[in-house]
Amino acid sequence: MSEKREKPIERVLWGAASLLVVTYALIPVAWMVSLSLKRSADLGDDRFLPRVVSFEHYEAVFRDPQFSAALRNSIGIGAISSLAAVLLGMFAAYAIARLDFPGRRLILGAALSIAMFPPVSIIGPLFNMWRTLGLYDTWLGLILPYMTFTLPLAIWTLSAFFREIPWELERAARVDGATPVQAFVHVIAPLAAPGVFTAAILVFIFAWNDFLFAISLTSTNDARTAPAAIAFFTGSSRFEQPTGSIAAASVVVTLPIIVIVLAFQRRIVSGLTAGAVKG
Amino acid sequence: MAEIELDGVTKRFSGVTALNRASFTIRDGELFILVGPSGCGKSTLLNMIVGLEDVTEGEIRVDGEVVNDLDPKDRNMAMVFQSYAIYPHMTVRENMAFPLELAKASKAEIDERVSRAAKILELEEVLDRKPRALSGGQRQRVAMGRAIVRKPKVFLLDEPLSNLDAKLRVQMRTEILRLQRRLETTMVYVTHDQTEAMTLGHRIAVLRKGEVLQIGTPRELYECPKNLFVAGFIGSPAMNFLPARWENGRLVLPVGSIALSDEEGRRLGAARGRLIAGFRPEHLQAGGEEQPGLRFEVQAEVVEWLGADVFVYFDVALRGFEEVELPEDLGLQGDNGDHRSLLARVDPSAGLREGDTFELGLDSQYVHVFDAESGENLSTARD
Ligand SMILES: Nc1ncnc2c1ncn2[C@@H]1O[C@H](COP(=O)(O)OP(=O)(O)O)[C@@H](O)[C@H]1O
Ligand SMILES: [Mg+2]
Repeated sequence: MSEKREKPIERVLWGAASLLVVTYALIPVAWMVSLSLKRSADLGDDRFLPRVVSFEHYEAVFRDPQFSAALRNSIGIGAISSLAAVLLGMFAAYAIARLDFPGRRLILGAALSIAMFPPVSIIGPLFNMWRTLGLYDTWLGLILPYMTFTLPLAIWTLSAFFREIPWELERAARVDGATPVQAFVHVIAPLAAPGVFTAAILVFIFAWNDFLFAISLTSTNDARTAPAAIAFFTGSSRFEQPTGSIAAASVVVTLPIIVIVLAFQRRIVSGLTAGAVKG
Repeated sequence: MAEIELDGVTKRFSGVTALNRASFTIRDGELFILVGPSGCGKSTLLNMIVGLEDVTEGEIRVDGEVVNDLDPKDRNMAMVFQSYAIYPHMTVRENMAFPLELAKASKAEIDERVSRAAKILELEEVLDRKPRALSGGQRQRVAMGRAIVRKPKVFLLDEPLSNLDAKLRVQMRTEILRLQRRLETTMVYVTHDQTEAMTLGHRIAVLRKGEVLQIGTPRELYECPKNLFVAGFIGSPAMNFLPARWENGRLVLPVGSIALSDEEGRRLGAARGRLIAGFRPEHLQAGGEEQPGLRFEVQAEVVEWLGADVFVYFDVALRGFEEVELPEDLGLQGDNGDHRSLLARVDPSAGLREGDTFELGLDSQYVHVFDAESGENLSTARD
């Protein structure tokens, strides 16, 4: 790959544009962090930075048993959904990327159309069905719709990654004396890992951030996830807005996503396969 | 050590015949070349020998044992792919150790064999690097290294040098040759480059569109090509071709006519249809000495001085002869209008310059006559 040499003026323009976008994206986040660190009394003081930094809202949030339960639910449901969606997605994507069977395009198209389907239109029926089936307010009751709506995403991401894998390596491994399973474990799996991580993270973020299904299909701490739980926050008195607690809880909910993305960013290096074939 | 026998081996991909009834034997310890234009079925044949591709019909035997249904891992053959196919997530050392680890060799033996291979291939310095930090030539050598660490029965190389630049290619070619002589292991080498084939091989099989056209030593292919395709494909610069007719016991060319031996005459007399005459550039002699055969005068269009030889390009008017139709996949130049461009490879002492008119001599014993329809060489005896 050749690196382009940029003129100074271009660099300044690019830099300014990037700064603009990043600022635009980060101001609400900064505002949220700032709110969460203000004392209750200062919440309405119209200042961007807190006058006195206080962790009272964080303490309140973690004292609340509902929120801890919600965090547990979020993590569990998110993890199981991503695992299941990625596992199923891997089988589908492998077939789509490797095998030549009739209806390949149809499957990809159908997957895409499911992704386009507005979730809000099935919430009503789903609510009634889940109540009849006993899935209402259970983990499975959320995992199923999350899987359904993220599978297309997983299939598309994974099949794009799988297509890029130099599959001749599998043949090379077979000639080197590997069984099909050994070839997969020692050669293909390490190369597919970045794609699998990417898909898993995307699915996890979807499940983690979802509000619609969570608010409609849960009613207690048994399965209510963090975004839904935040909506049920109450102020310490009837006349007080729970702004500070909501801000603190939102920060707490955002942190894992940021940590995950930063941690796995390195694993998602597309350059991992560089050097396998040709020059 | 292994002898590979192909018996009517055919491969069809949903209707497309990639290889049609190949039957020949690759001898033990031989460096055998499969050569042909791309798409002729070379890789398919190699993949069938190594077991990556099923055989549609026929039998492949290794040392007398049918291996059609044997898994690649049980064939103990090593293969070098055109794309090298080295594992990007492993270091050079791990790449070379991989086949040994799969074979459950001991740690000490793995170390020993990897370092020996690394020494032979001059990879000692880069053993702990990942492939992406290697040059093209080094990657190629890693692929070779992975093949030689395990003492396989057969080496199979699929265009191993085609991704290298010209200089490195020549250097690696010699290294492969030396390696093969040293290990004395049967090697099947695939290439589309006839120069590579001619310089490397003990024996060469020329493939075209899934058919094995001819098998022989480089010399046999060069001197006695069985058909027009082999004649035009083997040899660089390529053979000259002119349209020809058989008239009154003589072979008539646009530049004159020659007498042929009685036997050739009989075979040509029996042939129906149009003929094509072929002769190699070095068999055209410039200068005044008396020679048996044909003499004709031409004008040098372009003169290329190469030190030991001089290439002289000249045009021959077709004079009412039909145009020569050569197989398209040869990639040779056709006729331009009523002229055909030919090449003579002459001695520099003739001192020819562009624009000079001079006389060329052609000894009739070097003239091949081909049937224009079937491409069959009518002047060499059929075996
Ligand atoms: N997996 C395949 N499916 C269908 N056709 C194939 C496949 N592999 C090769 N072919 C066809 O078989 C012919 C020979 O291919 P190949 O052996 O790769 O040629 P070469 O290596 O001589 O360039 C080609 O026409 C190619 O299109
Ligand atoms: Mg090929």
